[in-house]
Amino acid sequence: MFEIESLCTRNGCFSLEDINLSIWEGECHAIIGPSGSGKSTLLRAILGLLPVMSGRICLGGKDIHHWPMEHRCLGYVPQHLGLFTHLSVYDNLCYSARARRLAAVEFKPLLDRLIEMTDIGSLLNRRIDTLSGGERQRVALVRALAAGPRLVLLDEPFTALNETLRRELWWLVKALQHERGLSSLLITHDMTEAYFLAEKITVLISGRQVQSGDKTTIYRAPGSLAAARFLGVKNLFPAMVAEAAEGHIIADCPMLKHRFRLGGRAPAGTAICLGIRPEDVMLCDVGHPPLAGDCVLHGSIRVIDMGAAVAMHFHSSQVPSDIELTAPRRAARCFAIGNDQDCKTISLPSAAMFWVRDE
Amino acid sequence: MIHLKHISIGACLAVLAIYGGLILSLMWFLDAAMLRETLFSDRTQFSVNLSLLAATTATALTLLLATPAAYGLSRYKFWGKEAVETVLEFPIIISPAALGAILLIFFNNPLGTWLQHNVIYFVFTFAGIVLAQFVTTLGLAVRMLKTAFEEVPIELETVARTLGGSPSYVFFTVTLPLARNGLIAAFILTWAKALGEFGATLMVAGSMAMRTETLPIAIFMRLSSADIEGTVALIFILAGIGLASLYAARCLLRRSRHV
Repeated sequence: MFEIESLCTRNGCFSLEDINLSIWEGECHAIIGPSGSGKSTLLRAILGLLPVMSGRICLGGKDIHHWPMEHRCLGYVPQHLGLFTHLSVYDNLCYSARARRLAAVEFKPLLDRLIEMTDIGSLLNRRIDTLSGGERQRVALVRALAAGPRLVLLDEPFTALNETLRRELWWLVKALQHERGLSSLLITHDMTEAYFLAEKITVLISGRQVQSGDKTTIYRAPGSLAAARFLGVKNLFPAMVAEAAEGHIIADCPMLKHRFRLGGRAPAGTAICLGIRPEDVMLCDVGHPPLAGDCVLHGSIRVIDMGAAVAMHFHSSQVPSDIELTAPRRAARCFAIGNDQDCKTISLPSAAMFWVRDE
Repeated sequence: MIHLKHISIGACLAVLAIYGGLILSLMWFLDAAMLRETLFSDRTQFSVNLSLLAATTATALTLLLATPAAYGLSRYKFWGKEAVETVLEFPIIISPAALGAILLIFFNNPLGTWLQHNVIYFVFTFAGIVLAQFVTTLGLAVRMLKTAFEEVPIELETVARTLGGSPSYVFFTVTLPLARNGLIAAFILTWAKALGEFGATLMVAGSMAMRTETLPIAIFMRLSSADIEGTVALIFILAGIGLASLYAARCLLRRSRHV
């Protein structure tokens, strides 16, 4: 098990404070956040490139923060992959075994299995500069895994790839996780990538850990306004806690002219922000009648074709800002693409609404 | 209409014309018999051997100190780094003659005198020639090697460390091979500069025939005695060795890029 406890580190004037996370064996934990949020700083601290001001970095119960990098049992696949261009693919893959002076019998079985899984057997004698982007990714992954690390650090390794190749490699990483019980820490700013690969997610914003936990919770109920904005929630409405009861609140939203009954605790009078994901907004005209307590709005809709899905902007004189919706292409087939269409009805279900304290 | 391309190619050819013209102008005084006689004379043979030996020794010593120093400057932050970076320009700011004079003055102070009497005698000796060339080329070598190391991404060293390599293993298996072209270029240019070094050598080792007479010193001595044909012959020998080594370096670098 890999654990970070109350970690504080500093990189020049930028500091990262009170970071806590744990990764169980076979688990992938994603660190997400906008540029400059401290993702790379955290990674550098884990690798031992930055001093730890306070806190612990533990692997298998031992604090490794003062250990030399080569003894930390960490695999590392950086954004630019860090392949050694003066060596062949095979020499890259064997670098770890040679550095540790391992006999062939100690590393060959694992290496051969990884080569087979990633289908890079035909590349072994090639030079790195003759490989395609996807082939390089595979080689970098195998090289990191062939060293038998207890945790692999993936620093946005799929950023430079096209969509098809990226998804192909996500599946490969999933397969490696499944077969080899791979524990990994994924650094990314892509929520889809984090959601696909990880079981747990930590959101970093401006050097602070704003939320950490199960990926569904992070996605469905962001812990702060900044996290909600980073996670792509555009439908945010200022509100006030009108009534506080045991286990739930009544939130009054003047913008939507509606009161929502929501889970959670906050004293009456607290300024909050209500949010709803675009895919949770219901189109009442295509067979989704509103339930009691849902906020129903009438207005016009503009539909943009995004291929597999459609994105919609709902404009209503009742609400000052547009509401963003997404729906599967099938669900929105009765809407004409591109044009504004009047007299449409949407509902904001209470069950799908989340709230965060206003910052 | 004159394009930027024409101007820039014209400038390149002008550079060639200036140096080529200067070399060709020597032909006016070139005497084949004199060239042959100078080339095979004992004194010239001694100068060539002395120059090659001193330049090679000085280059080896320079790289021995410059390589770790350049790596340190390219990778670490430490107290006094700015001062080290500034002092690298020192041999460029002051003339080689002034640098040689500083060395000569140093060997006249108590520490220098002690060194000369108890460790190695430098003034008017082969060791003095090597020291003069070492001091004049060190700053340049550190600067070139630092650039070579900076071109190797630190990320590669980090990856190699996570793969189990110790810092020294990573240096010899990743950093050094990847900086190879820069190292070769630094070696050749340092050697060529040491070979042509004159001012500091003259100050420290003097100009004694068949003793401290490197090729540049020999050219100076021939010119001082108004032996223009002899001077021209020696210039051709020096230019031949220098240009041949630079050409070899270019070929070596081109080949290593395609390995």
